Amino acid sequence: MSKGMKNIITKKNENLVLPIIWRGKEKEINYDIKLAGVNSSLILQMLLLGKNDDKVKIKINVDHQAIETKSKILVKGIVNDNASVDFNGLVKIEKGAKGADAWLSANLLLLSDSVKGRAVPALEILENDVKAGHATTIGKINETELFYLMSRGLSETKAIDLIVQGFLNGFLNYEK
Amino acid sequence: MKKSSTINNSYTYGFHKPEKSSFKTPLGINEKIVKAISAYKNELLWMREFRLKALKIFRKKNMPSFGPDLSKLNFDKLCFYNSPSSGKFRKWSDVPKDILDTYNKIGVPEAEKKFLAGVEAQYDSEVVYSNLKNHWEKLGVIFTDMDTAVKKYPELVKEYLGTLVPLDDNKFSALNSAVWSGGSFIYVPKGVNVPIPLQAYFRINAKAVGQFERTIIIAEEGSFVHYIEGCSAPIYTNDSLHAAVVEVFVKKGARVRYTSIQNWSGSVYNLVTKRMQIEENGVGEWVDGNLGSKVNMKYPALILKGKGARGELLSLAYAGKNQYQDTGGKAIHLAPNTTSTLISKSVSRNGGRASYRGLVKIAKGARGSKSHVRCDALLLDDKSRSDTYPVNDVQEQDVTLGHEASVSKVGEQQLFYLMSRGLNEIQATSLIVNGFIEPIVKELPLEYAVELNRLINLSMEGAVG
Repeated sequence: MSKGMKNIITKKNENLVLPIIWRGKEKEINYDIKLAGVNSSLILQMLLLGKNDDKVKIKINVDHQAIETKSKILVKGIVNDNASVDFNGLVKIEKGAKGADAWLSANLLLLSDSVKGRAVPALEILENDVKAGHATTIGKINETELFYLMSRGLSETKAIDLIVQGFLNGFLNYEK
Repeated sequence: MKKSSTINNSYTYGFHKPEKSSFKTPLGINEKIVKAISAYKNELLWMREFRLKALKIFRKKNMPSFGPDLSKLNFDKLCFYNSPSSGKFRKWSDVPKDILDTYNKIGVPEAEKKFLAGVEAQYDSEVVYSNLKNHWEKLGVIFTDMDTAVKKYPELVKEYLGTLVPLDDNKFSALNSAVWSGGSFIYVPKGVNVPIPLQAYFRINAKAVGQFERTIIIAEEGSFVHYIEGCSAPIYTNDSLHAAVVEVFVKKGARVRYTSIQNWSGSVYNLVTKRMQIEENGVGEWVDGNLGSKVNMKYPALILKGKGARGELLSLAYAGKNQYQDTGGKAIHLAPNTTSTLISKSVSRNGGRASYRGLVKIAKGARGSKSHVRCDALLLDDKSRSDTYPVNDVQEQDVTLGHEASVSKVGEQQLFYLMSRGLNEIQATSLIVNGFIEPIVKELPLEYAVELNRLINLSMEGAVG
């Protein structure tokens, strides 16, 4: 088991919301979450803000063990300077966990030329009566958006600020 | 819409002819056996050295650390070379009758009559039939089996062999390099457009025979070629190993499409290394169908080496009872403005397991590169399993990478709708599955598409209810 692994096991009907913010301090973030309670749910929101030489390795395992369990893992990262982010997510739906609903997404916004980003959002599904999906995007600021804002008189820094806010907006206002 | 009547067509590909070997090595693999293969093929020293060097690497290499369990694979119990007949044939009338029978049943000659360019039929470990249309020979296109290429065009082979898949790449590429036999060699000169697909058909027929074909495709600047490779093997209970290596070189502005349908029998381990290198503004495409075999590990790679190179992978996997399909693909962006699209569809049924294992790597300096990955999985019952292991590795800021995946079952509403129109559950499910895989099937040549739909329909029988 990795260093500093946090173990979470849900109870019946439990609805768990887990906000995590990384601002460069931790080198590793590890979560092992078992959705063991019937009809339990988990929302894990992770905000990653990396700059300078910040490096982080993230490991999140979610195991759907009971029926009617839901998980939603949303990772958003803004990576600047020489920072690097390595995200490893694994969502497993065990056999018999009927009605499970899993979503796993990781979006990384790269702000500098020397960043590194790695994302592995893995799924293991052993039950067919489920819904499961994942998505990843990695990229820089959209040039067209930037151009549009700057053509409206915003400075480049201002425009980037606004786009970054937009990137995080849906995330921060997220309601289940 | 496909007609549901195809469901009742019977599957006739599970047959085999009695073995008629003219040369066969004893079970197991060692230096003596590798030398014997090389001697039987009258190879020159360089090729023999190549094989022996590869054997040393094979011994040192470990088994893959990921994916399916290969511990039941016993190299001492496998035969590594088996030739069905000593001669090579250019006309159908010259092909031995029992071999011809086998191909007639699969429909190879018919296929050729229609629109296929040439047929390279590999029966066991030797190419027994080879026919290349004079037309392309005049254009300078070489389409021959690998054994002939080594003898006739040694300089060309030496220049490319093992450069994209080095001997020490992995255990099975090393094994292939040591005992390879057969496979295709294709050379398309600058600016030549081969309008009709070139086709090869591989089969395993001798019990417990490993088949190790080696294929090289070279498409010079501005050329185009479509190569089709299909497999359909008789049903045997002994474990068999198939470990091919394919190296494809797409030069500046050229385009290569490589279509393969793998339908090995349920006892085969299919462990294949396929790689395509694409230079400036070139286009490389893999269309990869995986239906058969017990254990399948196949991740065709697109190496986008030149500016503006494009790569595409369409991958289809079907995992039925006792099957583990570990498939996927790789896109490695090494140059600016390269693009890749990876699309994977998998269907798991009756205890089968289908895994997507993918890699997108964008190296430093590959500015303006774009990659899009989409993998969808359909789980047909609660005994089956589906996994997705996508690795996205980005070392450059100026990129766009998107990956999405979904796992679903056959929708009850869809099923209800179709059944309310008078289809039974099997027909309805078949129709839904065929609709699910349609984006890939439509890229296949006609007879493959028909065969694939038929196979899917057949395998659905007895699946539901």
